[in-house]
Amino acid sequence: MDPVRFYSSIIKRNIKRPEKVEKLIVRGLSIAQLYVSLFKDKRLPESLQYLNAFCIKSVRDSLAEPQNSAWVNIFSPTEFLIALGVKPLFTEAYSSFMSGFFIEDDLIDAAEARGISNTLCSYHKTFIGAGELGILKKPRFLITTSTACDANIPTFRYLSNKFGAPLCIIDVPYKYSKEAVEYVKKQLLDLVKVLEEVFKRKPDIDKLREIVRTENRTRALMKEYLNYVGQKSFIPTMTFEMYMLFASHVFIGTGEVLNFYQKLLRDIRNAPEKRGKSVFFVHLPPLFEKNFKEYFNFSEKYHIAASDINYDFLEEIDERDPFGGIAEKLILSSFNGGIDRRASRIRELVEKIKPDGIIQFCHLGCKQTIGGTFVIKNLAAEMGIPFLYLDGDCVDKRNNQEGQNRTRLEAFLEML
Amino acid sequence: MIGYVCKYTPVEVIEAFGEEPVRLDPAGKSYESAEALFHSNMCSFAKGILENILENNVEEVVLTSCCDSIKRLYDLLKGRVKFAYLLDLPRKENPMAADLYRREIADFISTYGVFKKRDFDEGKLSKILDEKCAKGKRRSSAGVALMGARLSKDMVEKIENSCAAGVINFTCTGEERDFDIEVKSDLLRGYAKALLELTPCMRMARNRENLLPRNLKGIIYNTIKFCDFYSYEYALLRAKADIPILKIETDYTDSGSGQILTRVDAFMESTGIKKIEETKTKKGYFAGIDSGSTSTNAVIIDENKNLIAYATIPTGPKAIESAREVFERVLKNAGLKKEDISATVATGYGRVSIPFADMTVTEITCHGKGAFFLDGTVRTIVDIGGQDSKVIRLDDSGNVVDFAMNDKCSAGTGRFLEVMARSLGVPIDEMAKVTEKAKEDITITSMCTVFAESEVISLIAQNKDRRDIIHALNKAVASKAVSLVDRVGRKGRYMMTGGVAKNLGVVRAIESKLGEKLIIPFDPQITGALGAALIALEGKSG
Ligand code: SF4
Ligand code: SF4
Ligand code: SF4
Repeated sequence: MDPVRFYSSIIKRNIKRPEKVEKLIVRGLSIAQLYVSLFKDKRLPESLQYLNAFCIKSVRDSLAEPQNSAWVNIFSPTEFLIALGVKPLFTEAYSSFMSGFFIEDDLIDAAEARGISNTLCSYHKTFIGAGELGILKKPRFLITTSTACDANIPTFRYLSNKFGAPLCIIDVPYKYSKEAVEYVKKQLLDLVKVLEEVFKRKPDIDKLREIVRTENRTRALMKEYLNYVGQKSFIPTMTFEMYMLFASHVFIGTGEVLNFYQKLLRDIRNAPEKRGKSVFFVHLPPLFEKNFKEYFNFSEKYHIAASDINYDFLEEIDERDPFGGIAEKLILSSFNGGIDRRASRIRELVEKIKPDGIIQFCHLGCKQTIGGTFVIKNLAAEMGIPFLYLDGDCVDKRNNQEGQNRTRLEAFLEML
Repeated sequence: MIGYVCKYTPVEVIEAFGEEPVRLDPAGKSYESAEALFHSNMCSFAKGILENILENNVEEVVLTSCCDSIKRLYDLLKGRVKFAYLLDLPRKENPMAADLYRREIADFISTYGVFKKRDFDEGKLSKILDEKCAKGKRRSSAGVALMGARLSKDMVEKIENSCAAGVINFTCTGEERDFDIEVKSDLLRGYAKALLELTPCMRMARNRENLLPRNLKGIIYNTIKFCDFYSYEYALLRAKADIPILKIETDYTDSGSGQILTRVDAFMESTGIKKIEETKTKKGYFAGIDSGSTSTNAVIIDENKNLIAYATIPTGPKAIESAREVFERVLKNAGLKKEDISATVATGYGRVSIPFADMTVTEITCHGKGAFFLDGTVRTIVDIGGQDSKVIRLDDSGNVVDFAMNDKCSAGTGRFLEVMARSLGVPIDEMAKVTEKAKEDITITSMCTVFAESEVISLIAQNKDRRDIIHALNKAVASKAVSLVDRVGRKGRYMMTGGVAKNLGVVRAIESKLGEKLIIPFDPQITGALGAALIALEGKSG
């Protein structure tokens, strides 16, 4: 048995003892963190080794210090938390890690047994299940935005209620207008007031400006990186596409992420020229799906170009007015608003990267993405790029019809 | 005519344009046309609305940014119907949100005005609002609250008709539009504010915890697959509220409505708010007939609740004929004539088609009644029949307080075992004898009959011991049953009824999962009919 599976079996055996499971998870992450820093995976460029360690550490830290952590969704304005030194933990990261530990099934079952819908997105069900079982400890604070999906507000409200921890909901309007920016800006100002009360610390406006400046610099590097993506073979495993969420969203604005993008840019410049075929993913690739793992991880023939979720906003934030600027970022994300916004961002990216094919993995329960499947399909057809959509689940491995998906995936890859 | 779905839609603005706003309901028995445009895993409400729009050529539609499904519906309708509009609806209720929504309504007015080549008359809007306000509030005393996802008009009416107390509707369709707008200087602003002040729906950021009136007798909670809004509130209510809750799930096609109504009726019966015509208790003999999908059973008792006779026959193609036949047979067994029977109660899914019954009562209530009569220590009944399974929870006095039913599929029922027996080439009676594994512990992962069958076939191909496969199947049925038990919560002692209770393999597997012995009545198939007979004697279901 491989060590992860072995470790997972120990956790599973204790699943009814939350204290123990919680300790095992934190310890497991500490070991993993140590492991990746001691035994560097030679197949990985330095930047990705760095990212690997950073992601594991950030999840570990927020779990180990719940009194100084806040639960957030990907699109939450974490700049304010970073300014206060509060450690964010986001739904998608936690649930992906639990799927990595092979315990998502127990957590999902626990959520469903309480009455949570079985058709809810499994990123959310896993998170809720961990809350129900007491494996997640009470955080100090919760923040969620209404983007990108319906699940956010109810999940966070439910957990805030369950743990008795304060929640701040940021309602992001669907359309952009001056009034909409003011509406969000006001909510951000209120958020800071509440944060101040809860953490008894005052975020400093200069600090916030500095974070926004770092964020802008990071995005500039991100855009430069995109110039190389089409010519190089780079992202070696699907896990890194998920890790990119840490860098493109929740932790953007930190020095570590800036550092990462600097390394990334250096690495991609030195990376080998593009070999084989590249695939662009709508939303995210399924990290744990067997066929995808086999075809994409450390593959010479097929590699991952990018996923649109990591590039939903590429503009600059106004440093002088960070509140208004962040409000604009939230409203203008390509994951907010109509599907045409999303489609035009995908078009831009595809034109730049020139992938050989586009795959949309329709994660069960993710209506904001699967509702646009046929729009993206038409877009691909119009651009003359092969498109495949497959149904499955990025977290709950039980929902993947691997046999059926295999034929379709293989036939698609043969087409490229 | 302009179609809309959301209660926050500025309906009165449409009226002021001289147009007729029509609330769209999902249409169609299937979502064939909708699924050509929409991924099938979108919620069935949105698919049903799309189907309706396509089928009836609805030309003008106004939506709000309610949820992901509706937003994507708008993406689809744009360019497909003559006029599609989406209003950006804030989730919060504060002055800035009102400003924002005011702007949205004003934008809608100018866009629609251009489309219709018509001017908007604010005076008209004001008049319409005044008229609605003058009508005043109509509040009924609440017995049952409808919550969760909206129900079709038809279903709401049926629920109202079977409930003796008032029904208060907290879904998207329940509210009166009697806005009282204070500030008339900026009418649209006041109107936008009043709309945002409607009882918050699940989609809003506001808390709904203090929504429920006191003295409520029960909650009917409707959920729908692939809608994220509702299950949370259900889970919270279930964990906190001391009011009985019935959870139902609709898909807006007609297919499941019969079963849902059965459950609603049973719920009303158990909470004591069912409308019933009282029948007087008489002396003599009393009969109960349970018209199930696989077997039809009858029981006769006397006025002192002594069991006089019973009979069981397989249900034929016509429920009514089987009912007649079993009734004749039980009369014969009892040595009685039709005229000796003072009252007959019918239960089971075929109950409504039995003309000689004096009353019909759901199988849930009857099972509860029968089981508690047989053994007063029973708190949970696990009933696995030919085509459905259910778990019923009783309180200390034998009243039904909760129940869960397997929805619309044969997973974990007698039918499931029959299909598997056929694949294995083993008679069902043989299967029933396997209570332990022979060589290895196999687990069947699919609960769906179709997938499980292919799993069995591949196990046969792998030359696995048949007894181990059978054992695995029994465990699969048991785990489905226990997951139903978990939905109502575990509480002993347990009685198992229904045809599958005769299958020792399944019985042992359930016992090992529950860690407790099951009580099996002398004939597990007649519990429902016995309950029906008892109700015939008592003259009421409560
Ligand atoms: S996968 Fe979709 S539904 Fe799930 S959290 Fe992400 S955006 Fe929401
Ligand atoms: S859930 Fe709320 S926003 Fe959505 S249709 Fe119903 S009332 Fe409107
Ligand atoms: S049922 Fe739920 S997902 Fe479907 S349209 Fe209504 S609110 Fe949206």
